Amino acid sequence: MNVTENQDKSAQSKDKLVIENLSKSFGASEVLRGVSFTVKDGEFLSILGPSGCGKTTILRILIGLAQADEGRILKDGQDISNLPPAQRGMGIVFQNYALFENMTVLGNVEYALKQRPETKAQAADVAREMLTIVGLQEHMGKKPHKLSGGQQQRVAIARTLALHPEIILFDEPMSALDVDTRLSLRLELKALQKKFGSTMIYITHDQEEAFALSDRIMVMGEGVIHQLDTPHNIVAAPADEYVRQFVLKNLQIKIDSLIQYADLPGYPRDSANAEGKQ
Amino acid sequence: MIVISPKVNGKQSSADVRKAAYGALKLSVYLFWAVAIVLPMISMLSNIAHVDVARILSSRTFVKALRQSITVSSLATAISVSWAALLAWCITRTRIRYRGLLTVLFALPMLIPSISHGMGMIILFGSNGILRNLLGLSGTIYGFWGIVTGSVMYSFPVAFLMLYDVLRYEDSTPYEAAQVLGIPVWNRFTAITLPYLRKPLISVVFATFAMIVTDYGVPLMIGGKYSTLPVVMYQDVIGMLDFGKGSLIGLILLAPALVACILDILNRDRGNAAFVTKPFELKPSRIRDGIAVVVSIFTGIAIILPIGMFAYISVVGKYPVDMSFSLANIAQALDMHVGTYLRNSLLIAVFVAVLGTALATFLSYLTARRPSKDSKLLHLLSISSLAVPGIVLGLSYILFFKGTLIYGTFAILILVNMMHFFSSPYLMMYNTFGKLNPNLEAVGATLGISRLKVFRDVLLPQSAGTILEMLSYFFVNSMMTISAVSFLATVSIKPVALMITQFEGQMQLESAAFVSVIILFINMTVKAAVYLIKRGITKKST
Repeated sequence: MNVTENQDKSAQSKDKLVIENLSKSFGASEVLRGVSFTVKDGEFLSILGPSGCGKTTILRILIGLAQADEGRILKDGQDISNLPPAQRGMGIVFQNYALFENMTVLGNVEYALKQRPETKAQAADVAREMLTIVGLQEHMGKKPHKLSGGQQQRVAIARTLALHPEIILFDEPMSALDVDTRLSLRLELKALQKKFGSTMIYITHDQEEAFALSDRIMVMGEGVIHQLDTPHNIVAAPADEYVRQFVLKNLQIKIDSLIQYADLPGYPRDSANAEGKQ
Repeated sequence: MIVISPKVNGKQSSADVRKAAYGALKLSVYLFWAVAIVLPMISMLSNIAHVDVARILSSRTFVKALRQSITVSSLATAISVSWAALLAWCITRTRIRYRGLLTVLFALPMLIPSISHGMGMIILFGSNGILRNLLGLSGTIYGFWGIVTGSVMYSFPVAFLMLYDVLRYEDSTPYEAAQVLGIPVWNRFTAITLPYLRKPLISVVFATFAMIVTDYGVPLMIGGKYSTLPVVMYQDVIGMLDFGKGSLIGLILLAPALVACILDILNRDRGNAAFVTKPFELKPSRIRDGIAVVVSIFTGIAIILPIGMFAYISVVGKYPVDMSFSLANIAQALDMHVGTYLRNSLLIAVFVAVLGTALATFLSYLTARRPSKDSKLLHLLSISSLAVPGIVLGLSYILFFKGTLIYGTFAILILVNMMHFFSSPYLMMYNTFGKLNPNLEAVGATLGISRLKVFRDVLLPQSAGTILEMLSYFFVNSMMTISAVSFLATVSIKPVALMITQFEGQMQLESAAFVSVIILFINMTVKAAVYLIKRGITKKST
C-alpha cells in the first residue's frame, strides 16, 4: 500500500534530472551504451547492478568528475553537461568516506563552507547543526580516524548536506560497514531525505539495500538499463531474465535462508510483522 | 539557454586558461629533466664516439681494474647483504632489548662519507693500526681486504634498512598455518621465507653491488695498488683530463645501477597491499636471543670503534707516534679553511634540501595524484637518477655544462646533488601521496574546493612527516657526498667532505678524521631534530 502511494507521489512531481543517451568508453570497452532515464524531484532512486556494470561511471558523469563521450544531462530543464562539479547543485558521498584526515570532524564539515563568501560567516554554526543532525555532536573535536566507520560516513554525509545540494549521490556508501551499522544508517538516510527534501541517487550492488530504501530501482547490467521501476513492479513484473536472475534470485536466496528457521521459537517473525504494519 | 550560455562559455575559457597554464608547467618540467639528466647523459655518451674504444677496453690497466672491481665488489656485497640480513633478523624476529636504539645505531654509518670508512679501516688495521698492534695481526690492509671491509662498513646499513623493511612487513599467518599443519622448521624456511625474500633480496643484492662497485672513496683511501674502475675513472678525469676514457668507464659503471633500478621497479609493484599483515608473535628463546645479542654487540663495536677513533685521533698530536692530547690538528684544519668549506657544505645542503623537496613533492603530486597519459614517463624520469652513479652524473655535468653560466658556481653543485639524490625522496612522497584517499580531489571538486587548496590544506598537512624525511635525506646526503661534486667543485665552492680527499693526499689523517666527525655530528643533529619534530607532529595529530 505504501508502494502505491509513493508511486502516485512520484508520478505527480516534476522531473529533476533528465539523462539523455549517455555513452562512455574506456579504450575498447564500452562502459555505458546510450543510457537514458529520468529522476523525479525528491525521489530516492537506486542504481542496482553488479560491479563493472557502469553504475559508478554514471554517477561520476552526473556530478562532472568524468565526461561522457555522448549524451547530455538536464537539471530542471537546463543542460548542465559542461558545468564544473561544484556548480551542478549536487553532492557526493563515497564508499571510502574521503575525509580530510588532518582536520577535526567539525573542520571537515566547515572547510567547504569557509571557502564560499556567502556561507563563510555562519560556517561553524551550520557545520555544528549538520553534525548534530547526524548524531555526532559529541565528536566534533575529534580527528576522523578516532571514529568508527559508520561515524566517519556520517561526517561525510554531514559535509555534503552542509552545502544544501539539491541532489545527493551515494557511491556504495555502506559497503565497508557492518550489518548493524548499515541498518541504522539506512533509517537515518530516509529520515534525512524527508527533512531536507533532497533528491537522492544511490548506487549499490546489494539487492536488499535497494529494496529497503528506494522509491524506484534502476537495474543495470553491462552498460545498459534492464529495468527502471518501483520495487513493487520489479518483483511483480521483472523485465527480463537478467532482472529475474540478478535481482529476484538473490533476494529469494536470502529469504529462503531465513525461512528454513521460520518455525523455530527464536525467529523474529512476530516483531517483523508488527513493524510492517506500522 | 540563451541566458546561461555566456556563463558556460566564461567558465570554459577560464578552464582553458588553467589547462594552458598546466600544460606550460608540465612542459617546463620536461625541459628541466632534459637539462638536468637527459642531455648531460647524451653528451657523455656522444663523447665516446671520439674514443678508441677497442684500445681502451683491451688495455691491461682497464681489464685488470674491471676484473678487480667485480671480484672485490662481489665479495663485499655477499658479506654486506648476509650481515645486513642477520641484523634485520635480530631486530624483527628476536626479543632482544633496545631494538629501536639498535636500528638507529646500525644505520649510523650512513651518515659519513664512504671515504671515511676507508680511513676507519686504516686507523684500525693500517701499518700502525690500533687493533693491528693490539691483536698482533700481520699482513696488510691496503688493497683487496681493505676495500672489502671498508665497502662492507659503507654499504651494510643501506642493505640493513631495506631488509629490515622487508622482514618487518612479512605476514606471519603462513607460518602459523605451517605450524598447525606440522611442517618442519627447515621446510618452512625453504617454502615460505625464501620465496617471500627472493624478489626483495635480488633487489637488495643488486642495489648493494651497484653502490659498492661505483664508489671511489673507499678504494681511493685504502686500495693501494689494487685499482678499481671508479678510481681509474677518477684519476683519468681529474688527473689526466681524459674525458673520453672517463666517459667509457662511466658507461660501464652505469650498467649495474641500471640493472638495480630496473629490478627495483619490477619488484616494487606489489607495494599497495590491500590487506593488513599480521605481525609475528615471538615465543621466548634464550638461544635465539643470545645469538642476536652477540651479533648486535659485535656490530655495535664495529660501528662505534672507527667513529670513536675519528674523534680520538682528531685531538692527538701526531697519530700514531704522539698520542698526547693536542688541538693542533683541529687548529690546522681551521687554518686550512675548514670553516669556510663547512659553510659551503651547509649552504649547498640547505638549498638541495629545500629545492629538492619542493621539486620531488611537486613531481610526485603530478604522478601520484594527477594521473595522465604521461604520468608513467614522468615517474620513470623521476626515478632515473637511481640508475646513474654519482661519479657518472658528475662527469656528464662537466661535459654538458662546461662553458655555461652555472659551471663553477654553487648552482651546479646544488643541481647535481639534487639530481643525484632525487629518486629516493621522490619515491617516499610518491608512496605517501598514493596512500592518501584517491577521492579527496573529487570531493574537493564537488564541494567547490580547488585542487590547489586540497593540495595545500589536505594533502600537505598529511604528508608533513614525509616532507621532513625528504628534507633530511637530501641534507644528510649532500653533506657527505664526495662522488658527483668531486668532478665539479672548484676551490671557492668546495664542500667540506672533499677536504677528506685532500687531507688524505697530504697524509693528514688527523684533520681528515676531524672533518668526518664534524659531518657525522651535523648529520646526527639533523636526524635527531627530524625525529623529535616528527614525534611532536604525531603526538599532536592523535
